[in-house]
Amino acid sequence: MRHRFGPDARLAGFTRALMATNLKAAIMLRGAFALQVLFMALNNATFFVFWWALMQRVPSLRGWQLGDIEVLFGVVAAGFGLAVTLAGGVWELGRIIDGGELDTLLVQPPPVLLHALGLRLKASGFGDVLSGLAFIALSNRVGWRAAPLLVLAVAASAVTFVACGIVFSSLAFWLGRIDTAARQLWELVVTFALYPEPLFGGAMRLVLFTVLPAGFVGYLPARVVQTRSLEAALLLAAAAAGYLAIAVGVFNRGLRRYASGSRFGTFG
Amino acid sequence: MTRTIVRYGAFARAAAAQARREPGELYGRVVFFAVILGVFSSLWRAIAEAGMPIAADPRELVWYLAATEWILLSAPPLHVELQEAIRAGDIACRLARPVSFVGAAFAEGLGLLAVRAPVLGATAFACAWAFTARVPPPGAFLRVVPFGLAAAAVITALYLGIGLLAFWLQDVAPVFWVWQKLLFVLGGLMLPLQVYPAFIRRAAAFTPFPTVLADPASFMLRAGGTDAATLAVTLALWGAATGAGVQWLFRRAAAALTVNGG
Repeated sequence: MRHRFGPDARLAGFTRALMATNLKAAIMLRGAFALQVLFMALNNATFFVFWWALMQRVPSLRGWQLGDIEVLFGVVAAGFGLAVTLAGGVWELGRIIDGGELDTLLVQPPPVLLHALGLRLKASGFGDVLSGLAFIALSNRVGWRAAPLLVLAVAASAVTFVACGIVFSSLAFWLGRIDTAARQLWELVVTFALYPEPLFGGAMRLVLFTVLPAGFVGYLPARVVQTRSLEAALLLAAAAAGYLAIAVGVFNRGLRRYASGSRFGTFG
Repeated sequence: MTRTIVRYGAFARAAAAQARREPGELYGRVVFFAVILGVFSSLWRAIAEAGMPIAADPRELVWYLAATEWILLSAPPLHVELQEAIRAGDIACRLARPVSFVGAAFAEGLGLLAVRAPVLGATAFACAWAFTARVPPPGAFLRVVPFGLAAAAVITALYLGIGLLAFWLQDVAPVFWVWQKLLFVLGGLMLPLQVYPAFIRRAAAFTPFPTVLADPASFMLRAGGTDAATLAVTLALWGAATGAGVQWLFRRAAAALTVNGG
């Protein structure tokens, strides 16, 4: 059984409907929705106090200044926020696979992976996107001319985040209950992506551009936005597409091993 | 008194046994801990190249971070499980037990802490040693370990308090995020408080955060270590205040609780 994302109009319609339903469900509880958005933005701002305090004392860290870190923070926050807003199901994919909950999706016409990713929307993701854009605006490093590249950078960061989540969660097909470990691996990517690139060298740098692609969710998108380099933009787009292709491949491979959970249930 | 200790000790032992059987999350924390120490040892080296903002050796700051992270990661995130129990309605079964709900939950937290603290402590020691090639004097450990364990117990009680908010909020994650980040900044998790501006240091003094993180970990720094007697008193006071606050929250929640079905 193969599942692929294609430019099919019905698939696009299904995706739109899934997102609209998730959005309606999230906004239904307006107070909780607003609280999650506000607190996530506050959370990101509070975390940034660390860098603000440090860079008041040390203006340049191996060539990185506060503005550079703001752009990095902004791109990572916006990319992560977009990922969990549009594909929030990735957060629970490991549990869904291990719990045999794919059964309900397998008997429906839409592609299983697309459906599983769209099962949830994390309202806090809006807070991430908003605070991310605020960080970028406050950095004074990105002008209006860079807006198209900013869209590309955030989208590529989000795609790579989702791809990582799919790969880590798909390990559940082979290893069973690994949802906590998958989330922790995902958090490691976020953790690495929030620190300036020059801190890492040698083998670590190789890891950050391959297995834990913090380089493609943070460093390279931030560089694209700041330098407006076409080569870097093309490399970023290719890397995001490559990671997504690998993720879909790993998921499809795992799906062949999937054993039914013999569960009755509905999603919505 | 003995019966009470035995009764709550059973909760602690059961939780510890459960944690030993499912070590996945703890192993994840171990990896995360090693990564964070690695990142920060690189960061402190870079800062040393640029000019240190405080009178401390970069290697001392790695040991300081090892201590703060050890305290923080050892405290089990009780609020997650408590929130799920409240949302799913499982809380009704627990309320029927002939023991204090808060006492039992805290005892379970201490049981988890007893499993996590030694493993994470060993990780902290091994990683900080590997990244700095030096070990602080034994006297520092003699003070950091007991104060760190007491601080982790207070943080566990604070997590319990956050979990109880689920009676009203359903999802306590937003409260936890902000609380956690305040702990990072006002508790001096990654940077000693001396690095922060005066207004942040003044604000921190009115919260329990420095008492549960920066002060116990400051024994790792040659300059600026807290007085042990003062720390013991402030930890006891914040522990008592947290305990009273959690009890009050629970009484309010139980009074407002309506259990439907069975």
